[in-house]
Amino acid sequence: MYDPQPPDVQNDQTVACADARATVVEMADIWKAFDDFQALSGASLELQAGEIHALLGENGAGKTTLSNVLTGIYRPDVGTIRLDGEQRRFHSPAQAIAAGLGMVHQHFRLVEPLTVAENIHLGRPELPRRLSRRRLISETAQAMEQYGLTVNPTARIWQLSIGEQQRVEILRVLLRGARVLILDEPTAVLTPSEATELFAVLRRLAASGRTIVFISHKLHEVLAVSDRVTILRRGMNVATRPAAKMTPEKLAKLMTGTERVMEAPRPSKGRGKPVLELRNVSARGDRGLVSVREASCTVHEGEIVGVAGVSGNGQRELTEIATGLRHPFEGTVAIDGQDLTARLPGDFVSAGVGHVPEDRIGSAIVPSATVVDNAVLRAFRTGELSRAGVMRRGAVRVFTDRLVTAADVQLPDIDVPIANLSGGNQQRFVARREAWAADRLLVAAHPTRGLDVRAADQVREVVLDRRDAGCAVLLVSDDLDELLAVSDRIVVMYEGRIKGDFTAAKARRKEIGYLMGGGDLVGGAGAEAPS
Amino acid sequence: MIRLQRRLRVDRRRSITLRLAGVVISLLVAGVVLQISGSPALMLGRRAVETMTTPYGMEQGLVLATPILLTALAVALGFRMRLWNIGVDGQLYIGALAATGIGLNVNGPTWLMLTLMMVAGAAGGAFWILGPALARAYGRVNEIITTLLMNFVALQVVNWLSLGPWRDSTIPDLSATRRIPYELPILPGTNTVPIGVIAPFLIAAVVFFIFRFTTWGYEVDISGGNARAAEYAGIDVRRRIVSVMCISGAIAGASGAILVAGTTHRLSSTISNQYGFSGFIVAALAAGAIVVLILVGLLVAGLLVAAITLQTLGLSVDAVLALYGLILIGNVVAEVAARYRVVRTTKPPPELQFAPAEALAGAGPQGLSALTAAGSPPESTD
Amino acid sequence: MGSLFNALHTSIDAGAVILIAAMGSLLAERSGMLNLGMEGMMALGAVAAVVAAGQLTSPLLCLLVGIAAGALCGLVFGVVTAVIRANQVLTGLALVLLGVGLANRIGTDFAGTPMSTTFSSWPIPLLHEIPYIGRALFSHDPIVYVAYLVLPAAASYVLFRTRHGLNVRAIGENAAAADAAGLRVTATRTIYATIGGALAGMAGGWLVLSLTPTWTQNVTGGRGWVAIALVIFAYWRPWRVVGGALLFGGMISLGFLAQDQNWGIPAPVLAMLPYVLTLVLIVLPAFVPSIRARRAGAAPAGLTLPFYREAR
Repeated sequence: MYDPQPPDVQNDQTVACADARATVVEMADIWKAFDDFQALSGASLELQAGEIHALLGENGAGKTTLSNVLTGIYRPDVGTIRLDGEQRRFHSPAQAIAAGLGMVHQHFRLVEPLTVAENIHLGRPELPRRLSRRRLISETAQAMEQYGLTVNPTARIWQLSIGEQQRVEILRVLLRGARVLILDEPTAVLTPSEATELFAVLRRLAASGRTIVFISHKLHEVLAVSDRVTILRRGMNVATRPAAKMTPEKLAKLMTGTERVMEAPRPSKGRGKPVLELRNVSARGDRGLVSVREASCTVHEGEIVGVAGVSGNGQRELTEIATGLRHPFEGTVAIDGQDLTARLPGDFVSAGVGHVPEDRIGSAIVPSATVVDNAVLRAFRTGELSRAGVMRRGAVRVFTDRLVTAADVQLPDIDVPIANLSGGNQQRFVARREAWAADRLLVAAHPTRGLDVRAADQVREVVLDRRDAGCAVLLVSDDLDELLAVSDRIVVMYEGRIKGDFTAAKARRKEIGYLMGGGDLVGGAGAEAPS
Repeated sequence: MIRLQRRLRVDRRRSITLRLAGVVISLLVAGVVLQISGSPALMLGRRAVETMTTPYGMEQGLVLATPILLTALAVALGFRMRLWNIGVDGQLYIGALAATGIGLNVNGPTWLMLTLMMVAGAAGGAFWILGPALARAYGRVNEIITTLLMNFVALQVVNWLSLGPWRDSTIPDLSATRRIPYELPILPGTNTVPIGVIAPFLIAAVVFFIFRFTTWGYEVDISGGNARAAEYAGIDVRRRIVSVMCISGAIAGASGAILVAGTTHRLSSTISNQYGFSGFIVAALAAGAIVVLILVGLLVAGLLVAAITLQTLGLSVDAVLALYGLILIGNVVAEVAARYRVVRTTKPPPELQFAPAEALAGAGPQGLSALTAAGSPPESTD
Repeated sequence: MGSLFNALHTSIDAGAVILIAAMGSLLAERSGMLNLGMEGMMALGAVAAVVAAGQLTSPLLCLLVGIAAGALCGLVFGVVTAVIRANQVLTGLALVLLGVGLANRIGTDFAGTPMSTTFSSWPIPLLHEIPYIGRALFSHDPIVYVAYLVLPAAASYVLFRTRHGLNVRAIGENAAAADAAGLRVTATRTIYATIGGALAGMAGGWLVLSLTPTWTQNVTGGRGWVAIALVIFAYWRPWRVVGGALLFGGMISLGFLAQDQNWGIPAPVLAMLPYVLTLVLIVLPAFVPSIRARRAGAAPAGLTLPFYREAR
């Protein structure tokens, strides 16, 4: 049995402990296996009172699993948790909450049809058996004032913006008396300015003696806000270091284990005719509220147009309009000059539109169906794969083999259900399939989300190759760095409107961030007239 | 420590073994209950097997198997799209009614009339499910409740016609229609089995072909697997819902037509011996496998024959219905059990662990190769 | 005039069975449990009450036996679907077959014989003496008052005015969120499945102890399904169930009225009216987009979804 902690880690911890703050939580040698993979292999975590402790790692490194073990959601296979030096074993979230451990999940654990006040008080033992609406609201307002987080207490959760929902989630945990507050990727859904506000709140909370665990994979943020950083890789600790002594480069190396060679940007070879033309489209979201407002956008052959914005500002609906999955109630959608407004998704497929949707497992894959059936999902109507309503099974298998090879998907047999593939393999599979379907236009939403560095690079390659082959690309992402790295033009979505139109080369983060937060550029620098 | 771990994928063999065990346990429970309630369970079982193995019993089994297999196919077709057609009994009745209507009121050569009756039966069944199908496709109304409630309506419609306008008043105390003058021929080589018995096998073959080779079958499977992905692939899911439900209803309706033309010859509100529920349980136990469906269907038909002939010993169609419920519960529990395995919560053996941290921390090409040697990395999102 | 008020009296009685069962289904559904086995649990509740009536002299005790039988079925459903987490739809359908089959099998010996104990009318002093309307509204047996006044009021109060009700609704909407807030998802769901079963058993028991009052084969005649449909019609709100149940009862009494008055409508056509009405109530509104949206919003979002804490 080897020692799961490399020696240099222990050295580091002794350095950190010299800080002489009281240790609150000590997790040691935590192991956790799921059916198909080992999530934690002897991870550990030591938290001190009053610190902001960042938990850093790539996707799949075990950050969330470790937090879920601490907060009683998962039970570890092996390992000990000590709270104030005393060994504890949590069998449910209720017990962890009672011990003062609270978690703000990445996907908020809020009950949508209930009000803010009801959500905040849900599960509190202090809540009287008989509910009084007035009291519920006044206590909520009081708590909001105390912590400086305000939201309308009578609003229902589904009416709130993502940022407001996060405030509710934080308040809920604080009100349960959390001494240790764990936030899982809290900034993923925030504008840059909202993130700054959040950091201020976190610092205040830490100053009052609480311990904050901040999960992220964004290096700049981690360095800006945290006191110490613990880096996980493949379910193991790599290091715990004081943030002051780290640089983004050092962190990246620890996170990925390799030094990443940033590729030189690949500029477009020049754009051609317009392919996708959206003219003043407005559409309703799933809740029936208008979520895209008079949006206009043109994407040409051989260019990538990046759509920036905080998620939930109409980007998903925009991609659905561009692929026929959602019908606008006003405005027109055209591909190659052909009006496709209010046509079926099948007509968009025939027009050469490929689509990597945001929720791949939910809407681009049939988990119970085989790899073969998933491979031909977009192309089964073509003459190559079927004739007169009869599938050409031989051709279908050849097509699948080619796709699987091209997508670099590892699998023993193309007749197994696609659910047997790992998430990353599924994602590469979908990206490649859609790139093939995209003769004219590729619409890709967050194509690299959740992938490790290597897989993300592969997917980005696919997108760039498509563009270089003369295809138009509409790329939605909430990772501004990614957009700046691959787009030729960038537009910003805010509350369903398309604002700003930057040539990527001239775009500045600050201006884009300003638009993302609802600001307006009045003929400002960098803004160009929409083409 | 030992705990249960849920598995993402189900091992087929394990699932089949456990589900068979579930059926056996349910039968044992039923046997114990029968024994306690005063029926000699073992003797009953022996007599049931005897009944099923006599030539007469086997022919009766085939006669009952016809509507059971057809309704089972109707239900199974819905399952392909995750649709629950629980109203097969109602569609069967309306199919029988439509066929009777033609048979009693139109005159023509026998072959033509029989064909017309079958077509009318199928059309009647499809018509009876059309409302629930449209409501499900375009109004998102739960089809389980609507198709089931339609059963009660169908029964009353049959009651009305068989006791009213179409009633045979020449025979006192008969609450059924006049005898239909057209009869299905008997299957060569048997004494009592109408030719209709081949229908389920033909339809099963056609269904098998459709789902294996056609784009329509592919579209239905995709729509059933993930409706959102189907829309994304350009499939009009709502139209597929309506067509699948209508075909399901048509199969059930045709079974009603075969029933009146081949077996009962008169329409009444008692022509179905719980065929619909029998078909449902056969489809549920077969879980999509057509060959299994036929085998289970024949077994269930045998059970039903035994129940009808052994009423004096405490068995009855109702007891069989209760047994279905018990078997189904055993089956769903077994399905869950197949998803779990018992694991010891320890560290995995070294060869299954990922590369040690030192190897990873030592960046550079060697670190990377150590990584690939240890197997592909976990890529699930955390 | 008199016959109209008689019809009202019948409507209230006939609706009460549906109301009790629907309230049980509503409570279970609010916690995320859709038990399609209402019909089976009602049948078992009814046959249990019939068997009990052979031994006991108090109708209330017989009803309690019916309630216990239903609760036992509900508990089985709860354990199988919430604890073991089997598929709710299949388990519910299995309960229909098991319940109806077993009840008919047990009931064979009792079929057709009138019940030895039944609930008797409990006229409310003074009020029932009001001409016409007094008899129609205020001279029912005690369970009818419980069904129309106590049950919806209690369900409404508990669900919307108490901490416990808030917990139940949260569990029905989003079990993962409720669990993260420290609520007991599995226990609550099992308990509410049991309550649903108890009320189904009560509906079945009262059906044979008062409404029919005798056991006949298939005595529940689809009322369990109607109850499930009415919950949808009522947007999962207790007081709206009362309206739906009265409409259903009205259709049944319309049938009696038509026969009584010799309107010349065939009996089977009258017998199908309540089912046709129920179908119309749930199908037609679904084609109005605003109602469809409201219905989708009112349904507990976690209905039929099993909860796994360690799901990834």
